[in-house]
Amino acid sequence: MSDHKERLEQSLSALMDGEATEMETHRILKAVAEDSQLREKWKRYHMASSAMQGDPASSSVDYSAAISAAIDQEPVHRPGRMAVVASSAGRFAIAASVALVAVFGVQQLNSPVDNGNQITEFAAVEVPEEAAGPAIQFPSGFQPTINARTVSVGGNNKSSQRTIPVIEVQQQIEKQYSEAELRAYLNSIMSRHSDHAALNSNQGMLPFARLSETGSSAAGEANAEKE
Amino acid sequence: MVVLFSSQNISKAIAQAALVAAVCFSGLFFSGKAFAGEMESAQDLLARMAKASRELNYSGVFTYEHRGNLTSVKLVNEVRDGKIYQRLLHMDGSQRDVVSRSDSLDCVRAGDMLLRGNALRINDGSYSRLEDFYEFHIKGDDRIANREVSLVHVIPKDRYRYGYVVAIDKASGLLLQSVLMNHAGQPLERFKFVDISIGSSSSYIDMQIEEGEFAQINQTDCIQVNRKIEASQSMWDVNWLPPGFVLASHQPPGAEGQESMMYTDGLAVFSVFIDSVQGTVLPPVDAKLGATVAVLTNVDISGNQYVICVVGEVPRGTANQVAGAIRLAQ
Repeated sequence: MSDHKERLEQSLSALMDGEATEMETHRILKAVAEDSQLREKWKRYHMASSAMQGDPASSSVDYSAAISAAIDQEPVHRPGRMAVVASSAGRFAIAASVALVAVFGVQQLNSPVDNGNQITEFAAVEVPEEAAGPAIQFPSGFQPTINARTVSVGGNNKSSQRTIPVIEVQQQIEKQYSEAELRAYLNSIMSRHSDHAALNSNQGMLPFARLSETGSSAAGEANAEKE
Repeated sequence: MVVLFSSQNISKAIAQAALVAAVCFSGLFFSGKAFAGEMESAQDLLARMAKASRELNYSGVFTYEHRGNLTSVKLVNEVRDGKIYQRLLHMDGSQRDVVSRSDSLDCVRAGDMLLRGNALRINDGSYSRLEDFYEFHIKGDDRIANREVSLVHVIPKDRYRYGYVVAIDKASGLLLQSVLMNHAGQPLERFKFVDISIGSSSSYIDMQIEEGEFAQINQTDCIQVNRKIEASQSMWDVNWLPPGFVLASHQPPGAEGQESMMYTDGLAVFSVFIDSVQGTVLPPVDAKLGATVAVLTNVDISGNQYVICVVGEVPRGTANQVAGAIRLAQ
């Protein structure tokens, strides 16, 4: 792997985790527009985090084409949030398709916590999980909104992506595996990692606390599975 | 030192004196560095923490918070007959109660060794030391679980690992809070005691439990200073590791055909699992859940499918790079 490419992949990782600097975001947006391999990688990230978090809408679909189409049909002038996003995308002067997703994502991540929009979105994201039953720790009627937000940071592009109002994507690629299988495998791996970490690190009991977290939410996700 | 630990009462003064003495003592073992005083005292706190969490009797309730979920866990740690017993009771959700017995007090593992300020030899002959990869700053005092703590910021020097804000009990050296921070300074997970009692023996762990019911213990991972863990014969080579990470444990393929390695730099930990695939081939994924990342890749070696999975509390880029560097041994 060349140095440049390695740096780009590091930046992409950082972007996915909500840790990218402005410079990196610029660089990655530019590169993604030109580099199909990198674009593929980006898709994988999204697919994987969806699978981990039990997002029923997860798919290996390339959104970029749909977004391009949507942009073509977009009225030239549009008030509100989208206009801001579109203009920043324009300012970056990048091929709009994939960039729009990213800019939107980044803006979402950077917006202040008290953004009303964001809270609604976050609650909406929680809904499918809530239907899953025991995994949800919140009492009924208690919305996991702003309090939850305070520690929910980074890597939340999934919810950002949902907020793009113009896309409806059909699942196009036949899956050879079930998401339940993938989740089961990841959970077993995490549980073994926790055993390792508890014995071999100074974190003491902490790895088991992580495990309870992933284990319980995974159980809920498996219930929500619609295969 | 004086500014950081301005003493207002006698116990603080004693703690300060003890700390100064400890710093002077540990200073013998460190190469001279400018402004080393602060760093060493922070490191001394961490070294004390590494011992305390294993060697003291304590019980309490801690919370674990990540991505908006909060769970609480009751914990008891007891040393009996030179062995460490632990009981964890999850206070929320389904009933989960784990009693475990871990190593004898004499067994020190790689991670502990590093955290205690020792150097470990890496494969290429160089040495791994915690202070080469993290900066340590004492950020002052606070109160957690009704106890006086010192706050220590642990800042990574590169992007291969995360940072921490830890709170260490001044009297006992126990870790009472740990917040894992990403490079943007955002918390990824938070672990925090809400109540703890230290030093008292508890009847909470039932000694009548049959020996066989405790988790298996692998004493072979215990090490000495300046030594490294020798990996047993493996089919696989890991051609790249983030700087400072050493092998802490290696498990050759067992009945299920899974081989695993665990690496640590003294604070961060990641595991590598290699499975031969029977049945469904899973897609390559990069998944992230709170602080934990899992990178899964597939390799086909003369018709045999293998899945390689790197899991740990490290940045996604680190896990990716490790996963990409695993090759069949020549």
